[in-house]
Amino acid sequence: MIVRTRTRLLTRAIVAAAAAAAMAAALPVTLIAIAGYAVAWQRGWQPARLYRAALWCLPLVAIWLVTTAMSRDSMLGLAEAPWLAWLGMWHSASNGDDLAAAVQIAPISVPAGLAVAGFAWSLRIHAMAARAAGRSPSSAIAFDQRQWRHQARSALARVTGPLAPPLLTRRGDFIAGAVIRAVGHPARPTCVLPAVRLRSHQLVLGSTGTGKTTLLLRLWAAFMTIGLRRHAESAAGRPLLVVLDAKGGADGRRIADRLHRLLKASGAGNVAVWPDQAHLTLWTLPVKQLVSTLVDLIEHGSGGAAYYTDVMEAAVALAVQAPCGPPANSAEFLARLEPGWLTLAYAGVADMATLLNSAARQLPDIALRFRTLFRRLGPGLDGPGSFADADAWYCILEGTADIAVAEAQARALVDLLACHVTAHGAADDHGAANDHGAAGDLAHRQQVLLAVDEFSAVSRRLPLWQLFERARSLGLAIQVSAQSWHGLAPNEDERYRLAATAEGGIWLLRTPHPEPVVELAGRRPYIDTSRQLSGLLRWTRTGTSRIAEAPIADPQLIRMLDVGQVAYIYRGGVTFLQIKPVITAAAPVPAADPRASEPGPVAEISTTEVSGAPLPDVTTFLTEVFGSFAGQRGS
Amino acid sequence: MTASADRARAARDSTGLAFVAEMYGVQLDQLSLLLGVSDRQAAALVARWSQRNLADSAILSPGPRWVWITRPGLQACGLRYSPSPPALPRLAHIRAVTSVRLALTAAPAYQLGQAHWRSERRMRARLGGRLGAREHVPDAEVHWPDGEMHAPGATATGAIGWAGECWAIEAELTPKTVARTTSIMGELLARTGDYGCPAAEVSVPGAPPRYARAIYLCTAAAARTVERARANLGNLGPRVEIRPLPDQAYLQVRTPA
Repeated sequence: MIVRTRTRLLTRAIVAAAAAAAMAAALPVTLIAIAGYAVAWQRGWQPARLYRAALWCLPLVAIWLVTTAMSRDSMLGLAEAPWLAWLGMWHSASNGDDLAAAVQIAPISVPAGLAVAGFAWSLRIHAMAARAAGRSPSSAIAFDQRQWRHQARSALARVTGPLAPPLLTRRGDFIAGAVIRAVGHPARPTCVLPAVRLRSHQLVLGSTGTGKTTLLLRLWAAFMTIGLRRHAESAAGRPLLVVLDAKGGADGRRIADRLHRLLKASGAGNVAVWPDQAHLTLWTLPVKQLVSTLVDLIEHGSGGAAYYTDVMEAAVALAVQAPCGPPANSAEFLARLEPGWLTLAYAGVADMATLLNSAARQLPDIALRFRTLFRRLGPGLDGPGSFADADAWYCILEGTADIAVAEAQARALVDLLACHVTAHGAADDHGAANDHGAAGDLAHRQQVLLAVDEFSAVSRRLPLWQLFERARSLGLAIQVSAQSWHGLAPNEDERYRLAATAEGGIWLLRTPHPEPVVELAGRRPYIDTSRQLSGLLRWTRTGTSRIAEAPIADPQLIRMLDVGQVAYIYRGGVTFLQIKPVITAAAPVPAADPRASEPGPVAEISTTEVSGAPLPDVTTFLTEVFGSFAGQRGS
Repeated sequence: MTASADRARAARDSTGLAFVAEMYGVQLDQLSLLLGVSDRQAAALVARWSQRNLADSAILSPGPRWVWITRPGLQACGLRYSPSPPALPRLAHIRAVTSVRLALTAAPAYQLGQAHWRSERRMRARLGGRLGAREHVPDAEVHWPDGEMHAPGATATGAIGWAGECWAIEAELTPKTVARTTSIMGELLARTGDYGCPAAEVSVPGAPPRYARAIYLCTAAAARTVERARANLGNLGPRVEIRPLPDQAYLQVRTPA
């Protein structure tokens, strides 16, 4: 027993001495490996990054080998080139010329050192992941937390430094920010998402002050820039961004201002702020839709109150579907909710007398409710204006100050947008069928993104999930953001419907209850083992192992996310990233579209359209007053 | 002091105060040119305004003193602008725009057509602090009323060929990029609504444009950029006129290149 122990100790001493000798002999490789290991630890890199760096050095090695072969006029010299470089390095070092020594050995030592560093770093990570390294069992947890801090610091430096990533890649894909850590997704330095994700339903969850607005502004700017670029390439219709800010107040107006400047820099034409600057009209909706929307604007009870709902719907239908056509504004609508007007309007229509008599008793009450509603809604829905008037609409709903009004406004705006998208799609389909066929259909379909911020303020009366499932076929993507899982919808079923149909991904910022969303991301298998790591890549055969599952996205990590850190969940993987704030102008739209950087149909306005005739000549007048450059040059 | 002298002084006060308020501030030589008085009389006038706390003056740049209107002066003029001295980085631009206005108002056709100068300050005041109002505001607008006009007090009458038009005035001392200048020109010529109108009315397809033309008054250096930008506009190019700035437009009077 004693002999065996002594033999083992002797063997270990010999191995350690041999390793030390090898490290000393290959000192340059050792130094670079140590440096690479330290940098990977300090920045939280994955081993693959060191391997990639080593591969990038291979062209240098090839050039060095070719140069060596050419200087010796023999390919045989290549085999002994590393050995001679090593000897030359020691020779130069012994003569005190350290720089020459470094240059001689660099072509070999740099890639080899980086590869060794990558290997050593991967061993360390795996050992820590297996909880088999470290001085105490809790070392693995401390290691992971430390690595997270390093990775987060490194990502923050990447998005704030002078080489911070732009909004889009050269291919037109969206760059969200710098990757901190990825599980089930490719671990790249930057988080690059295909442009199509921005045209899909998305979910954004995060508490106040976690960087949600920064993320949303970046997503909106990217949507607009990509949309304008596709439009310039004739790949799609002009983009339309509609933001419903259900929070309102001064904060909403500040965001509106930032968005306005951002989108103008992205090449958008008009950016309208509703209801402060621009209005929309509810009264151009199709008649049946108008009846439905008007009835939905007023909150109804259930049970016995359903009777009054039916009465109200009948009265509204009478006023809207009158033979003279639908009303043009709220005042005209209210004027119609009177027995006298309805009797006159339906004078020549058979079988209406009984209906009018029945409705007459309720009309004053119904008119009173609508009068109150329109007073509270304000003039924002009385027009003139439509979603076609601007590339982006920022609609401010006072959800904090008056939640009932915000709910009604949201309902009306969503109905208007759905109608606009449907009408636009139908018109495009018709035009495409006539002019371009099926290919033209897609090329002319408008790209529309409806973003509802602070959805919890209006979620009670805005069943957005109903729109989710049929919106994609109309070219409408919906982006819902809320402060918590419970703010998404009134009940669990609707919340899951919203989250499950977010095929563009879920953006999860710090939130106290991330578990339901984390569950949607899925779980990944890991090995829970009692086997021991007895040496380098050697495990004992005693003990058992079992496959266990852990959530893809660690809920505890999400609870601890810092400002601007986001977990992007998509297809069973998660990427933790640091969002890059959009501060400067977004990527410009290519010059292929002459209208891209202009705020309206400039190209269509010709000289003769000003007054129907050529402009009068003002040359003489201006020359008399100011002279001319030609005159100055002549004199 | 006679009654006629009082009337003349009151007329100078109302004209001068309103003019200075609209232009943010003017230099004394420009004020004397406007009122048709000597520099010494203009200085005395400003001293009187300052004594009554209607205006303030100081040497802000090379050349004569600058004069601007204080809060009581603005109230006396019925203007709701924020009272502040002209911004130092904008002095050269303000002087250039003022000289353009003086040159235009001195033209007989301007008086005959009873044209109206609408200043940038007035347009910005109309925009107020409204959010989203980040559109480019020209240095001034010149409105030419419709119909046959005659100058007040003048016997000559006649029709101005461009009556009914509205011009955008731009004074360019330093060249911008061609792309930026093209973008501004396009935005001006495509504009259909007034400043402060709903966003949906800013540029309405099919509606008549707000500006029949854009008049660019430039230095020689800026003129090259403006000419290239005009060439980029295509069929909108003829609606842009490019002329040199008046000689008095520069802070330090110099011969234009």
